[in-house]
Amino acid sequence: MSDVLQSLFVLGTSHHATPLAVRERFALTPAQALELQKQLHAQEGIRECLVLNTCNRLEIYGLADRIERVDEVRRFFCQKQNLAEALFQQYAYSHNNLKALQHVLEVSTGLDSQMVGETQILGQLKQAFTAARDAKCTGNVFNRLFEKSFQAAKAARSQTAITRGQVSIGNVVVDLATRIFGKLNKSRVLLLGSGEVGEKTAQALKSRGVEDISVSSRTFENAHKLAHSLGGAAIDFADFIDQLEHFDIIIGSTAAPGILLTREVMARTMKQRPERPCFLIDLALPRDVDPAVEEVENVYLYNLDDLSTIANENLEARKAEIEKARQILKKHAWNLWLQLRRRELMRKV
Amino acid sequence: MINELAMTDRLAFAAAAAIYGGAFIFGLVTLLLKRPYSRAIMFALLVAGFFIHTLGLNLRGAQIKACPLGNPFEIAQFLAWSLVLLFFIIGPVFRLRLLGFFTAGLALLLAAGSFIVPSWDAPYPPGIFGGNHWIELHASLAIFSYGVFAILSLVSAMFLIQQHGLKKKQFKGLYQYLPSVQQLDLMAKRLLFTGVIVLSASLIFGAVFWIENHDLVPIFKLTATCLVWLGYLTVFILRIQKKLVTRRHAIATIILFLLAIASLWPVESARGTEPEPPSHGATPRIER
Repeated sequence: MSDVLQSLFVLGTSHHATPLAVRERFALTPAQALELQKQLHAQEGIRECLVLNTCNRLEIYGLADRIERVDEVRRFFCQKQNLAEALFQQYAYSHNNLKALQHVLEVSTGLDSQMVGETQILGQLKQAFTAARDAKCTGNVFNRLFEKSFQAAKAARSQTAITRGQVSIGNVVVDLATRIFGKLNKSRVLLLGSGEVGEKTAQALKSRGVEDISVSSRTFENAHKLAHSLGGAAIDFADFIDQLEHFDIIIGSTAAPGILLTREVMARTMKQRPERPCFLIDLALPRDVDPAVEEVENVYLYNLDDLSTIANENLEARKAEIEKARQILKKHAWNLWLQLRRRELMRKV
Repeated sequence: MINELAMTDRLAFAAAAAIYGGAFIFGLVTLLLKRPYSRAIMFALLVAGFFIHTLGLNLRGAQIKACPLGNPFEIAQFLAWSLVLLFFIIGPVFRLRLLGFFTAGLALLLAAGSFIVPSWDAPYPPGIFGGNHWIELHASLAIFSYGVFAILSLVSAMFLIQQHGLKKKQFKGLYQYLPSVQQLDLMAKRLLFTGVIVLSASLIFGAVFWIENHDLVPIFKLTATCLVWLGYLTVFILRIQKKLVTRRHAIATIILFLLAIASLWPVESARGTEPEPPSHGATPRIER
């Protein structure tokens, strides 16, 4: 064996080249992923392994005694999942050695994510690493590799604008709400309609400290159900206009054919709360809020287009930082590669 | 000796202005680089500027044997000093982002701007307050309240910038680093309350002197001061009644501050025409 680390590999599929319908076929439950990890580790010649399983990617990281083991891993996975090897081959990618290492670093930084720079993947990778370590599927090389990759991700994020600006509608709303109210724990939210986008936005606000969420929908049962899941209360749809003054953030997400909140209604509401701003988020199509409401003092109205524009601008800004982040990661990857090789050599000696 | 001291206090004022300028440029450069500035560095720079500024005021106070508020130059310096002092009280407690940057900018404008017209630092006899502590307290409190109104106008300006960004859907640049509109509005309300109390107290102390010395206080000065106080009191009452809030409140406080600063000129020029207050013996005029 000429080089101790010549058999580090990553084999996987991701949103980049694999359509959702195919990804669904490759998808594993968390229990299945753990089971696969154990079984792979038990395979002959696999020294260390880790399975990363998210909605957008399935990746198998391995350290084997020789690089040809990648084919055995691929075969094993296809047999286990009852997949045609040709199908997997068509969509899967594989990297070895330094390239595999660079890939781990890019994944943990979020460079390889659908939403460039998103931080959720780092948490998922950390979780996968913890699970693999607890299952004793990782050893000296992977322990160092993944811990260092988390540090490299942090460095790339702090030295570039890769995570700056929010790229999902929910997080853009949270950012705007913070610019209006500061801390959100005392803000009261009213969700009109029980649509999915509205629900996700309310959840994003809840995750950032909002405690009081009320739901009002034409179908009271739906409102009640959603309010229950958000830990809030349901309001009768016929009454919500009279209660508007009590809410700081109002999310319109109904399927109503016409305008629900007119300029007159909001002007009347703001007279009841002149000192407190009101943030209106219109996620409905057709719109729930009259655009003229924007003219009312202390009211901030954002519709779906506004939010998408902000999210897209932020995403473009993040993409512009990819190359800068990649160069930083390359340096980290090279240093780490040298470190790992040195350690492995020492270990062997 | 006096000349040496005079040089030294002006040098201290100039050094303080330079440090405020440095703090402002530091904030500006980091913001132009689209990064939030280090609060610790901004705070340290303002502390350094404030320390030297205090030294300068002390030296000047030692010369005139009173609070240095005898000419427009000194008033501007005292105002800048009060502004930075208030930042140290408000900044760490309420952690208003960018307040340090705006404070450094206004302090620079006041401290450095006062050097532009040499005649503003015209000599005057020492002991201008005639050893009357009431009038000295009145003057220092009045200028301190102007410091409060200065920081109030900064907070109001920040509010207007943030509100403009939110209304116009601007997401990048300065907007993302500014505090929330609600925080700024609440802070403006508190500052207005504080400023009105301090200015009212100043006027009460001034009135004690005025009752005893009608002839020594020119009507021009009295009118200008009372109008400023009345203006702020009106805004305060309207705010309490929730009739003047948020944007209009912010605009009103900025306009009032500009008027208050402008009113210092008639107040100051009136001093030249007023009879000299009773002093404890003849003292030479300090030349600068």
